[in-house]
Amino acid sequence: MMNTPQQVKNPSSSLKSRFITRFLGALTKITAEDPILSSSPTRIFQRYRRIKVASNKSMAYSVRSRRIWSRAMLSRFRSRRSAFSGRRSSVKTTNCGEAMDVCNLLDETAHYIKCLTTQVQVMRKIVDFYHLSK
Amino acid sequence: MASDGNDDLGFKHHSLMNTNNPLCDKVDGMALSSMYNTKSSNSSDPFFGSGWDPIVSLNQSESLGGGSSMVSHSGFANSHYPLLMENQGICGTSHFSQYQSDPSFVELVPKIQGFGCGNLSEMVGPMSLPHCTQGYAMNHEGGIERASTNSTQSRDDRQISEEGVVGASPNRKCRKRVHEANQNADEELKKDPSGESCDVQKEHDSKKQKTEQNATANSRGKQVVKQAKDSSQTGEAPKENYIHIRARRGQATNSHSLAERVRREKISERMKLLQELVPGCNKITGKAVMLDEIINYVQSLQQQVEFLSMKLATVNPELNIDLERILSKEILHSRGGNAAVVGFNPGLNLSHPFSSGIFPGTISGIPNTNPQFPPFPPQTVLDNELQNLFQMGFDSSSAMDSLGPIGRLKPGL
Repeated sequence: MMNTPQQVKNPSSSLKSRFITRFLGALTKITAEDPILSSSPTRIFQRYRRIKVASNKSMAYSVRSRRIWSRAMLSRFRSRRSAFSGRRSSVKTTNCGEAMDVCNLLDETAHYIKCLTTQVQVMRKIVDFYHLSK
Repeated sequence: MASDGNDDLGFKHHSLMNTNNPLCDKVDGMALSSMYNTKSSNSSDPFFGSGWDPIVSLNQSESLGGGSSMVSHSGFANSHYPLLMENQGICGTSHFSQYQSDPSFVELVPKIQGFGCGNLSEMVGPMSLPHCTQGYAMNHEGGIERASTNSTQSRDDRQISEEGVVGASPNRKCRKRVHEANQNADEELKKDPSGESCDVQKEHDSKKQKTEQNATANSRGKQVVKQAKDSSQTGEAPKENYIHIRARRGQATNSHSLAERVRREKISERMKLLQELVPGCNKITGKAVMLDEIINYVQSLQQQVEFLSMKLATVNPELNIDLERILSKEILHSRGGNAAVVGFNPGLNLSHPFSSGIFPGTISGIPNTNPQFPPFPPQTVLDNELQNLFQMGFDSSSAMDSLGPIGRLKPGL
């Protein structure tokens, strides 16, 4: 799902652009698998889940291993691929296994908030675009 | 009797009168008696007469250091000196024994004056102290040098040893007086090792007084502290090996609390950054409340992602790859604003329950599904379906509606 090659659209390959490319690739892949209109709610639900995971994964991969939370999420994705990882556990309860003192925890939280807002922003724009286009 | 008289002031008087006094033997008895009877006698030498005044003034003034030179200069110390000593008071009569040797007499004068100075300081008070300390230091050093050249009389040796002993105590007393006199600047004074002389002490005090005028007692900055316990007691900054962090006013400055302070400052700095990230937290003071808000914000952001992904899942993604590229470019170019998007849909209302439950900030960014949009009808159907399907703490659409700006939802799975 995450095998789309990273395409740099603008010179400064920022977190946002990386996330966008990854996520869009995943999204198209997911939505291409089954059409919407004839989908049952369960299918939609499944798709929802996949999209959500794709979104989180895209973000985690965009950040790569530079942050503790991304490392934790990536390890969780790889180990529990099949299991339904519904809602991401909060950073504060994550089992990152690394020593986290308050100072680093606050750093991680700040970066995580920034990434989350980027994620929400991009997804919202995609939704809008979808709504607009059709 | 001479030996007895040597120890007593009263006896000094007698010893002067007593012709058995070896001093009297040395001195011209006539001159002495005449001197003694009349302070300024015409029969005495004009040298004496003229010399008396300086000695009197010497007595009254407290510049005993100058007095020593004066006396030695005038050279009549042997006759005047006992009277000088008498006026000074307690200065023991043991020094009279020194007068046995004429050549040593003059040299002994400064020593004795130093001795007397030490006693004077106790008698007169702190007034005389500045001179005393200086004079004492000068005389003490000079005296010790000259003492070594003295004749080897047993009493001389005893005197020297006595003075050595007494010399230490006036030194300490001097220091103590200095301490009392300069109470502001004196915390290091009593803790100093006793090796320092009074002169150095005085300079130190003056320097310290200057610094004290600039800084308060607690914020002494980077002064050298001789003992470890001083730093904790006096609040000085003992940092010489570590990074020089100036202690702020009214704060403890031992190494542990300084590291603690640095750590706390780092944490508060990051909390401020987080405060800026989380909207609406400008008025919040206090870490616990701030952390609560941060946690809520993170949770709400995660839920937004879920909502949006659900929305994406329901939208008919009739995108081909070209559109995707365009979309991505559009997203990249219009970075901050949803203005372009909003421009397309000027008059759309918010669709509930999805968006209205989310923050007002985000609601504005989401143009709502037009009734004409194909996904809309399925969405209304989906709303009910979602209630069954989603066991994630989305209790009901009403619960979602009741979400405040950063509402507290039950945590998801």
